[in-house]
Order: sequence, then structure tokens, then C-alpha cells
Amino acid sequence: MRDTQDAATPTILVPVKVLEGQGLPETLATFLAPADVVVLGYHVLPEQTPAEQASLQFEERAQSAVENVARAFREAGGEAEARVAFTHDRDQTVERVATEVGATAVLLPNPVGEVDDLLVAVRGAIDADRLAALVATLIGAGTQRVTVLGVTSEGADVDAEAAVADVRERLRTRGVSADRIATETAAVERPVADIVARSGEFDAIVMGESEETLWSTLVGDETERVAEGAIAPVLVVRRGPAPESTSG
Amino acid sequence: MVPDESSRESDGGVVVTGPTELTDEASVTEEGTELERTIGLAGGFAIGVGTMIGAGIFVFPGLAAGRAGPAAAGSFAIGAVVALLVALPASELATAMPKSGGGYYFVSRALGALPGAVVGLSIWLGLVFATAFYLVGFGNYAAGILAEVGVPIGNATVVSLALVAGVLLTALNVFGTENAATLQNYVVGLLLAILIVFLGYGGLDALGVFGAPSTRERFMPFGPFPMFTTAALVFTSYLGFAQVATVAGDIKRPGRNLPLAMVGSVLAVGALYVATIFVATSAFGSAALSDFGETAIVEVARAFAGRAGAVAILLAGLLATVSSANASVLSTSRAVFAVSRDVILPTAAGRMNLRYGTPHVALALGGGPTLALVALGEVEVLAEVASFLHLVMYGLICVSLVVLRRDEPEWYAPAFRVPAYPFVAVPGAVASFGLIAFMQPLSQVVGVAIMVVTAGWYKYYASDVSLKGAL
Repeated sequence: MRDTQDAATPTILVPVKVLEGQGLPETLATFLAPADVVVLGYHVLPEQTPAEQASLQFEERAQSAVENVARAFREAGGEAEARVAFTHDRDQTVERVATEVGATAVLLPNPVGEVDDLLVAVRGAIDADRLAALVATLIGAGTQRVTVLGVTSEGADVDAEAAVADVRERLRTRGVSADRIATETAAVERPVADIVARSGEFDAIVMGESEETLWSTLVGDETERVAEGAIAPVLVVRRGPAPESTSG
Repeated sequence: MVPDESSRESDGGVVVTGPTELTDEASVTEEGTELERTIGLAGGFAIGVGTMIGAGIFVFPGLAAGRAGPAAAGSFAIGAVVALLVALPASELATAMPKSGGGYYFVSRALGALPGAVVGLSIWLGLVFATAFYLVGFGNYAAGILAEVGVPIGNATVVSLALVAGVLLTALNVFGTENAATLQNYVVGLLLAILIVFLGYGGLDALGVFGAPSTRERFMPFGPFPMFTTAALVFTSYLGFAQVATVAGDIKRPGRNLPLAMVGSVLAVGALYVATIFVATSAFGSAALSDFGETAIVEVARAFAGRAGAVAILLAGLLATVSSANASVLSTSRAVFAVSRDVILPTAAGRMNLRYGTPHVALALGGGPTLALVALGEVEVLAEVASFLHLVMYGLICVSLVVLRRDEPEWYAPAFRVPAYPFVAVPGAVASFGLIAFMQPLSQVVGVAIMVVTAGWYKYYASDVSLKGAL
């Protein structure tokens, strides 16, 4: 589908609850425009409703709504593909489509204004290379500032300093000038709460995909909890099929 | 490519389209919309088991043992074999056409719009009758529990309890955005747990672990013939495995999960039935069971564990009727959707609402008549009519397989193929139609009348519908 020259451009999957009138702020479209965007308009049904039944009645409405969102991205100068899915399980659909389009990151939407300050929250094992490639694509040509924040649980055996330095180095290699990158590390009791607390200072958050644990199944992914607590949208960087490098 | 279009060929005709591209994870409509497949093997299995284990497992042991002696276990085994003869062809057809609608869809595509319409509309009515029967069964078990704990009950209480359950189930499905289907899985799980404890204890007891082994009774006190006629009586307890195919459009990896869920649920339920008869006849002997009649299993449980045992089995009966009723309400709604999609009923019948995301019209077309029937009574005859209509569909499913296999259309590419299909589908069809002969004349007359009325409706309302892909 894509030209080979575009192969290096990261793809961002933007899931939108299309029949509930969820739109996306224009500022976000501008921010994401340098990347390729796949807008996934989805509608979650209870299991007693066949997906086909919903599509017969609401397909056209869903398609025109998602097309409107995609158009906003194109008007902001980006590439955008529109897809519509009826499902009983949002996560399954997002995961399937993200895999199909080879998405670098998935957006968890939140209200946003102009994106000037970006928070890159580094937690545990992340795919630093994909993360850096994504951030560099989004802000490389602009003037936005990035804060790379390494957050670890107190007493955890993780070298946050090294992980943060690694991300910073990769961003610089990819053309983000040093004066636009700030770094910090913190060892705190509740990392998610700490990221949420700091999110007020930033306009958007980039995080690595969290690992599936028993705890995360019970209370939700770290990234989802951050998105719920924060006022800024969260870009979740997915692990690559064969990560070239990981840190932490 | 699956046949999925129907159209009205007359002027200003309606053209209906459906998913055209089918994969393991999602299907894609002509407009490019993706329909996620989200029901796994466990979900499909729960639909099959939940629909089948209705009141039958508790009602039939006494009646069947009276007719056939301990060989009643053989009757249930024969029933399972007949069910498998239909489940295998149904599985093949479902993997070739993994779409909402199940039996209606196969028959209409293989045999044509008229037989399809008769099956689709009569299964809708048959499911309504069956649901009413399950709800009255629920009322009886609930009243039984009340009686055990000392609350006096009358016949009016049974009907009121059944009506309340019916209203709650329909409301749950219309307003329950938190997945009524998940509730189904819990109900079936709890039911199976109670049954396995009961059968495990009873089985050990029968083998003499808790005292002297029970005296051996002759396996066929009345000879082999009653074993076969009794099989016809108890086959009702296997109705429902084909409902798995009604969710074919939403099931993950349909090529693998549909056959496994359908065949697996028949085998599981058959094993439970046979074990139940073994335990019951070992505990009491068939003459005593026959005297207990419809409450035989409750008396067996009472003999094992006193009042607690009796209440536990009544509770299991309650869960069994809830799961059957709930599964049937869901199947009814899907059956209505499938025929309205092909414009055999007005398409408004398939409409859903965005607020709850549920097909409220189809659910009401199931729940409304059901409540009316419960209130009016006479559900026993209607239950047999429901069996009649199911058996007609099962027979036609087998015929559909033979027709499709003899001259395979281009689109026909099932992931699962029945081995030696004529030796499965032909006996399956003969057995299904043959079982109808054992029914009461009244049920046969009502069943035929319903089929004539549905055929009349087709001629009146939908005779200009032609189904693309039909042979």
C-alpha cells in the first residue's frame, strides 16, 4: 500500500469512538501530521448484537464521520487512511489493526491545545529506537521542547539514568538539537501517579507500551491509567516485531 | 466468496449486501467496514451447552427410566449420536458460511428462498415457544426451592415467577451493555460445577465407595426396543447445538472453533446425560425413579445429601432453565435479524439502537410473544412444537449438505469437511424427520400449520426476493 520511500515514516494509529461523536482537536492533527496516520473509527457493541447488524444500519454514518477526521489530518498536511470497525472488544480491534498497518504508536486521545512541550516518560524496557524515531519525526522540523523523564519505582533495579541518556542520544542523532531536550530522573513510590501529576506541565505524552502483568490486567495498563489521569493525549509506542535495541 | 446478497428483482428493488471477505480475525463488508470476530471457543461452547442443558436433564431421568430401565442411559447415548449426525453437517456448512443466521442461512442458500423462509420464520416461532417452556420450567424450580424452605406456593406463583424471569432476561438483553453473554458463561460454569459434584459423588456411591455397591439391575428389563423409542422422547434434551451457528459471524477462527464448539458441546452434554441416568438408576432402581416421575433427580440428590442436596439440584435446574432461556432469547434475536436482512421480514425488525447498542426490535419480537405464551399457559404442547420445528430445520440442514456437496458451487469452500458425508448426512436427515413421527398428533398438526403459514407469508410478502448464490 505504501511507497517504499515512506517505509521509514512512522505510522500512528488513531482510534476514534466514531458513533459517539468523538472528534480530534485540530491542534492534534497538526502535531501528528508529519507521521502517517491511520484513523480507526470503531464502535463497541454488547455481545448480544451481531457486528453485521450494526454495520448494516450505521456503516455509512461511521464511514463519513471517520472520513471527516481523516480529512482534518490531510488538511494539516499529513497522510491519513480511514478505517471503520464494529467490534465487541476495543482492545482486540486496536491491536489487530495496529499489527496490520505496522503502527509505531497508538494514540490515547485527550483534549489538547498547541503542542509545545512534549513529555517522554521512560519506564522499564522500551523500544528506544522506535520511540526516538517517532518523536524526531513529529517535532524534528519544529521548535517544540522535549523532556525525557525516567521514572522508576523506589528500589527498582533499573538504570533510569542510562535509559534517559540513551533516548536523548538517539533524539540528537535524529536531528533534535540538544537545547530542545531536557532530561530528568525520579525514583518515586507510584510512578503512574507521578507521571499524571507532572502531565499538567506538558501538552502531550509519549510512553512505551507497558508489559502485561497480572497487576495490569486487574487495574489496567500503565499507559491507560496515565491517559485517564492526565489531561494530555498519550502516544503509546508499540514494541517492534524485532527490536533493534532496548534500554533499561 | 460467500453468497451474501439478496435482492428484490422487481422494480425499485431492495439490494442487501453483507460481509464479503472473511478472515479468522474479522470480516470486511463491501464498503470496507471491518467486523471484528470476538467470541472464542469457550463462548461458542457455552452457547451450545447452555442451550442444550435445559430442564431436560432433570425432567427426563424418571420418565425415561420408567420406559426403558437402566437402558435409558443408552437412549441418551443414541440421542447424542443422532445429534452428532446433524452437528457434523451443520459444522461444515457453518465453516463454509460463517455468518449470522445459522440454519436459516444454510438452507436458504442451498435449497432456495422458500424453504429458507419457512425455516427462518418457523425457527423464530419455535424459539419463542422453547423460551416460554424454559421460563415455566424456571418458575417450577424457583417454586420448588421456595417449597423446600417452607414458603407455600400455588400455580399462580409459578407463572408470576416465570413472567418476572422473562421480563428480567429481555430487559437485560436490551439494556445490558455489560454483556449478557458473559452472564451466560458464569451461569453455565456454575451449573456444570454443581452437576459434576453431584455426578462425582453419585458415581462413587454407585461403585460402592460409601457402603455396599448398589444392586445390579438388568440393563434392558423391557428389551432393546423401548431404548430406541425412549431415545425419541429424550432427543428434546439435545435441541440447541445448532444455535452455535447463529453466532458464526462473530466467532474467532470460525473454521476451527465452530466445529469444535458444536461437536464438543454435544459430546459434553451427552456424557453428562448418560452419567446422570447411570447415577440415578444406581441410586434407586428404575421402578422407584419412575414413581418419582419428573422430580426423580431431586429425590436422588435428597437421598445423597438431604435437604441441602435437594436444594442444590433445584438450584442447578434453575440455572439450567435460565441459561436455556437466555440463550434462546439471544438466538431468537439473531434469527429475526437473519430473515430481516434478507427482507423476508421488514428490515425494521433488524434495527438496533445506538444508546444501548442492542437490537431492541428483534429482542422484543422474541420476548414479547414469549411473555404472552407464558401468561396464557399451554407451554408443554408448544415445547413439542418447538422440537418439531427444530427437527425440520435439522433435517433440511442435512439435505442442504448433500445438495451442496453433489454439485459444489464455486464459493463453497468449507474449512471443515464431514468425512464420508453421505453416511452422516443421509442418516442425519432420516433420523431428524423420523423423530417427528414419534410426536403427539397435536404437535404435528400445529407444526405443519406453522410451516404452511410461514410459506404463505413468504408468498405474500417476499416471493420477489431472490438470493444470489442460491443454487
